[in-house]
Amino acid sequence: MTVCENSSFHAFYNEKRGKNAIFGAISYMHARANIRYMTKVTTNKSIRLSEQLLKYIPILFAVILWCVLSFREQFFLKKVEDLSVFLFDKLFIMDSFKTPGGFLGLAGSFLTQFLFIPWLGALIWIALLLLSYYLTIRTLRIPERYRPIALIPVALLVIGNMSLGYGVFIMREQDHFFAPVLGYLAALIPLFAIKRTQTVASKLILLTIWTAIGFPLFGTFAFIGTLTAACTTFMDQEMLRSKRLTILAVSLALIIFIPLIAYSFYTSYRLVDSWHMGLPSISDDQWTFAIRTPFQLALLFLPVMAIASRRLKETDSKNIIFQTSVYVISATAVWGFWFKDDNFRTELAMSEAVDRFEWQEVVDFYRKAVDAHVKSDDKAYDDRTAKLKGVKDQDTRNSIIDSFSDRFFEPTRTMVLYRDLALLKMNRALDEAFTMKDGSRMQKSRTIIPMVWQSGKQFYLQYGLVNMCYRWCLEDVIEHNWSYSTLKYMVMHSVIMQEPELADKYINKLRKTLFYRKWARQQDALKSDREKMSAAEPYNSILPYMCFDNHMSNDMMKTETYLINHFLEKEPVSATPEYDRAALLFAMHIQDIPLFWERLFYYINSNNLKVLPRSVQEAALLYSTLEKDGRQLPLDDKVRESYNEFNRYVQNHPIRSMKESEYPYCQKFGKTFYYFYYFMRDLKTY
Amino acid sequence: MKHFITIVAILGIMTSCTQIPTSTSPVDAVPSIFPDYTDVVIPSNIAPLNFRIEEKGEKYVTVVTGRSEKVIITGSKVVIPKGKWEKLKRTGLIEVQVYIMDQNKSWHSYTPFTFTVSDEIDPYISYRIIPVAVESYQELSIKERNLTNFKENTIFSNTMVQTNENGTCINCHYYKNYTTDNMLFHVRHYKGGTVLVLDGQLHKVNMKTDSTLSAGVFPAWHPTHDYIALSNNRTHQSVHSASHDKLEVLDDISDLILYDIKNNAVSIIENDSCELENYPAWTPDGKKLYYVSYKYEGGYGEKRKNEMFLARKEFHFNLYSKSFDPDTRTWGPTKMEFDAAALDSSITWPRVSPDGKRLLACISTHGVFPLDQIVSDFIMFNLEDGSYRHVDELNSPFAESYHSWSSNGKWIMFSTRREDGVHTRLYFSHIDENGHFSKPFALPQEDPDFNREFLYAFNIPEFMKEPVHITPRQFASFISSTEATRSKYESKKGE
Repeated sequence: MTVCENSSFHAFYNEKRGKNAIFGAISYMHARANIRYMTKVTTNKSIRLSEQLLKYIPILFAVILWCVLSFREQFFLKKVEDLSVFLFDKLFIMDSFKTPGGFLGLAGSFLTQFLFIPWLGALIWIALLLLSYYLTIRTLRIPERYRPIALIPVALLVIGNMSLGYGVFIMREQDHFFAPVLGYLAALIPLFAIKRTQTVASKLILLTIWTAIGFPLFGTFAFIGTLTAACTTFMDQEMLRSKRLTILAVSLALIIFIPLIAYSFYTSYRLVDSWHMGLPSISDDQWTFAIRTPFQLALLFLPVMAIASRRLKETDSKNIIFQTSVYVISATAVWGFWFKDDNFRTELAMSEAVDRFEWQEVVDFYRKAVDAHVKSDDKAYDDRTAKLKGVKDQDTRNSIIDSFSDRFFEPTRTMVLYRDLALLKMNRALDEAFTMKDGSRMQKSRTIIPMVWQSGKQFYLQYGLVNMCYRWCLEDVIEHNWSYSTLKYMVMHSVIMQEPELADKYINKLRKTLFYRKWARQQDALKSDREKMSAAEPYNSILPYMCFDNHMSNDMMKTETYLINHFLEKEPVSATPEYDRAALLFAMHIQDIPLFWERLFYYINSNNLKVLPRSVQEAALLYSTLEKDGRQLPLDDKVRESYNEFNRYVQNHPIRSMKESEYPYCQKFGKTFYYFYYFMRDLKTY
Repeated sequence: MKHFITIVAILGIMTSCTQIPTSTSPVDAVPSIFPDYTDVVIPSNIAPLNFRIEEKGEKYVTVVTGRSEKVIITGSKVVIPKGKWEKLKRTGLIEVQVYIMDQNKSWHSYTPFTFTVSDEIDPYISYRIIPVAVESYQELSIKERNLTNFKENTIFSNTMVQTNENGTCINCHYYKNYTTDNMLFHVRHYKGGTVLVLDGQLHKVNMKTDSTLSAGVFPAWHPTHDYIALSNNRTHQSVHSASHDKLEVLDDISDLILYDIKNNAVSIIENDSCELENYPAWTPDGKKLYYVSYKYEGGYGEKRKNEMFLARKEFHFNLYSKSFDPDTRTWGPTKMEFDAAALDSSITWPRVSPDGKRLLACISTHGVFPLDQIVSDFIMFNLEDGSYRHVDELNSPFAESYHSWSSNGKWIMFSTRREDGVHTRLYFSHIDENGHFSKPFALPQEDPDFNREFLYAFNIPEFMKEPVHITPRQFASFISSTEATRSKYESKKGE
C-alpha cells in the first residue's frame, strides 16, 4: 500500500493517534507497526465511506425508478390511470365500501388519478415505497447492518406492479397500482400502536379493535398488521411466555373469526375470499395467483421479519458484501420481472395518441418502433445466416429459422390497426400503409387479451361503429369496472348519436374528476348541437364513416375481422370518400382480388382521383398480372419498373421458404404491395 | 359544550327564520324539477318525494303545505323530513310552492304543484340491479326496497357464489301472491338451478328435462295451486350498428311449461315447433293462462338465428290464452285474444290485474323483448268488454317494459327508460275505477339526484307484502352447497 507514505495519511494518523505516538515512533519496527495500523485505518475509512454510500442506495434506486417510470414507462402509467376512476361523488365513495378493504380501494383510486401526469404519479408512488422502506426498518427495529433487507418487500411491490404487462387491460380493481403499497403501510399501523401499550389486556383490545375496523377499511392487509404486531409481541422476551402465547392465539382467532362475523354485513363476495380482500384480481385464476404472489410475499415479509428481526444482532461491523448482495438481488429481481416488451410499449404510446386524435404521432410511434429494430434485425439476420451455413436439410433450416423468429421485429395487429387508422384519418393510408412493416406478432402475455378489450372501443368509435363502441364500453365496465376511458368513450358515443340525456349521465360523472372536468364541459356544449358537434374533433372525422344503414351484428370479440366484414360485406347507400378509402384498404389487407377490384371501383368514383396512390397501383398491377385479365391500367412507369425488378429478383433469388426469404426480400421490396402480398400471409388476429 | 349549544341555538334561529319571500313576481308555470313529481297521485304510505329544482337561480325556497302543516326548505335540493312528510300526507293533499331568486335578487313564485295522497301501496318491492350490458355480467343482485322509507336490502347477490372464472347469473325473481314464503329466482351457470322457497324452506331444482327445451325462464306462479307456469327460451342478442336502439334480443325457440311443485315434475303447456310462445300470466282465479306467441316458419339449423335477426321486423307476437283446470291439471284449447300482427305490432308481457278486470301489456312494432325497443309502450285491455287502449298517460318517448300490479290492484309499478334511453328506472302510477292511470312518478330516493347518478339499471320490479325472511348468507350457503334436483317430465293433459 503506497499511500502510507503520503503526507495526508500522516496527518490523518497524527490526528488519530496523537502527537505522542508520532514522537515515539522512531524505530523501524515501530514504523512497520504503524504502517499496518495505518493500512487498517485506511481500509476502515473506505469501508465507512462505502457504508455511507450504501445508506443512500435506496434513494438512488428511487431516483432511477422515477426516471425509468417517467421517461420510459410513462404510457404504461397513463394507461393505468386511463383504466381507473376516482369520482368526487357520494355514490362512488359509498360503493367503494361494499367490500372489505374499501378505504384502501378509495385511497388507491384517488392516488391513481395523479398518473394522469405520469411523473407526478410516479413520484407519489415512489415516495410511498420509500416511506414503506423506512417505516419497515423503524417498526420492526431492523439492526442497521440488516437494513437493506427492508428493500425486499419494496422490490416485491415494484415487481407486482411492473410485471403486470397486458394484465393492465383486464384488472378488476381500479386501485391496483397504489393499493398494495398503501395496504403495506396500513399493515404497519398496529406495530406502532402496540409498542405503546403495556398490559396484555390493552394489547388485546388494540388488536381486536384494529382487526375489526381494519378489515372493512384495509381488507386482508389488516390481518397482516394484526399478525405482525402479534409476532412482534411474541418475540418480546420481557413478557411472560404464557402472555405472549395468549396474544398470538387471540390474534390468530381474530384473523379467522372477524371475517366470519363481518360476512353477515356484506353481500358482495364469497366467504372463502375473505382473506384475499384488497388484493388485485382478474378473471383468470392462474394469472390472479401470479399477480398476487409478489404482493403476498411482500406482506409475508412483515410477520417473518417481526420474528427474525429480534434474532438479528446489532454489531459494530457492517457486512458490506451482505448489504450489497441484498441490493443487487433486489435490483436484479425488479429488472428481471419488469415487463419489457417493445411492442406493448409502442401499443400504449399509440393508444394514448389515438385518444388525443394526434394521428401523426400515432404513425410516428409506429415508425419509431420499426426504426429502433433495424440494427437488431440485421444482427439477427447475420446470426441466422451464420447458423444456417452448411445446413442442407430443409426441416433443420426451418427449425433454425423458427428459433430466430422472435429476434426479428414484427408488429402486433393492434399496432398495425392503429397505424392504418391514423393514416386513414390523414388520408395517407393507401399511399403509406403498405410501405411500412406489417405482421401479427402475438402479445407476450400469459393469455391473449382480445383486441376488443385493449383497443376495441377506439377502433369502433373512430370507424363510425358507435353502437359497437358503446357495447364494448358497457361490457368493459362489467368485466373490468368503470374507468375514465369508458366514461369518455360513452360520452363520445352519446354525443355523436345526439342522445343528450344519456350524454349527461356520463358527462356529470367526468365533471366529478380532477383531470377530465374541462373535457366534460366541452362535450356538454356539443351533446345537443348537431352543427357544433359535426365540426368538432373527433366527430368531424367519425361522421363520414357513419354512412351505412343500420344492421344487426355481433363481433364475437374479433375486432379486426368485424371491421373487415363491416367495410367489405355491406355496401352503403351513399358511401363517403373516407368510407371507400377504408373499404379499399381492408380489401387490400385481406388480399381478396375480386373484392379489391370492386372496392377500387367505388373508391375511384367517390374520391375523384387523377392519380392512384402508389400501393393501389402496385396492387392493381399485381392482381391484373395474376389474373391475366389484360386490363389497361393508368399506372406510373416507376410502378411497372419496380414490379419488373421484383420479378427479376424472384427469378434470381428463388424462394426456398417464405420465412427464410422474408428478411432479404423485405430489405429490397418491403415498401411494396408485392412484398406484402407474398410474404404477409396468414396474419392472425385476436 | 357551551359553544355547541350556542351553535345549535344559532342554527335553530336561522332555520326558524327562513322567510317565505313576500315580494315576488309570479311565473305562470310549475318549476322544472327532477324527478318530475309535479301533480302526481301518491300512495299514503310512500316515502318522501325528494326532488331537485332544475331552474337556474341564486336562492331557492320551497314551501310544502298540508292542511295545517307547513315545511319550508331552502336550496335547490328539496329533502322533506320523514316526520313532517308523514304529517303532511295525512292531510290528503300536499301543495308545493317554489320560490326562486334570480341573479338580480328578484324572487319569482312558480305555479304550485300538488301531491294527491291516495290508496296504500304494498310496503315492499324487489328488483334486480344490473349493469347495462349485452352479454357480460359480473355483479347482479336482487334487492328489496321498503317503499315507506328509503331502506334497501340485498335479497341475494351472485357475487356471494360465483368465482373468478365461473360466473353465476341470477334472474327472474317471483312471488306467490305477493308473499315471500313462496318465491323463486333462477341461478344460471355456476351452481345453477331454480331456487324455490316453499313455505319458507329452500329448494333448488333443475327444470330442464330431456323433453323440454331449457330450464324455466319467465315464471308465473299459480295463485291457488302448487304450479308454476314458465317459458323455455333459447335467447340471442345482437347489436344495432347504427340506431338509437342499441340491442335486439330474440328467441330462436321458445315454449311454455308447467312446473308441478309437489311432484317436482315438468309438463308441456305449448311447444309447437313453429310457434314462439312466451310470457305466461295467470288470471287471479288461476283458471286461465295468458301468453304471447308468434308463428315462425323459417328453417332450422345453423342459419336459423341469423335469418331470424334479418326477419326480426316481421315478428309480431299475438296475445293468446288457454283455460286451465288446476284441480285436474287439464288444459283447454288455445284462444287468440288479440291479433297484434293485424296492427303490425307485437304484444309482450301480459299481466292481469288482481281483480281480473284488466290486462296490461307492452306493445311495440316487432319482437319479443320490449325493453330494448324505444317504441315499446303500454296497452291495456278491459277483460270485461274486450276493449283496449294505448295507455298514453304512462307512455314516454322511450321504452316502457316490465310492470307489476300492486296486490290491491290500485297501483302499477313499471320499468322505463324515459330518463335517458338506456338506464331502466322504476315508476309508479295509480289506477282509478275507470281504468285511468295517474301521472307516473319515479321511485322516491333519499337523494333526489340518485337516478341521474346511478349507473346501474333496475330490472324485474315486483311488489311484495313483506320482506324476504331468508338472509343473503342463507341463500348463498344453500346455493353453493346444494346440487339442483332434476325435475321429471310428465305428459300434458287436456285439449
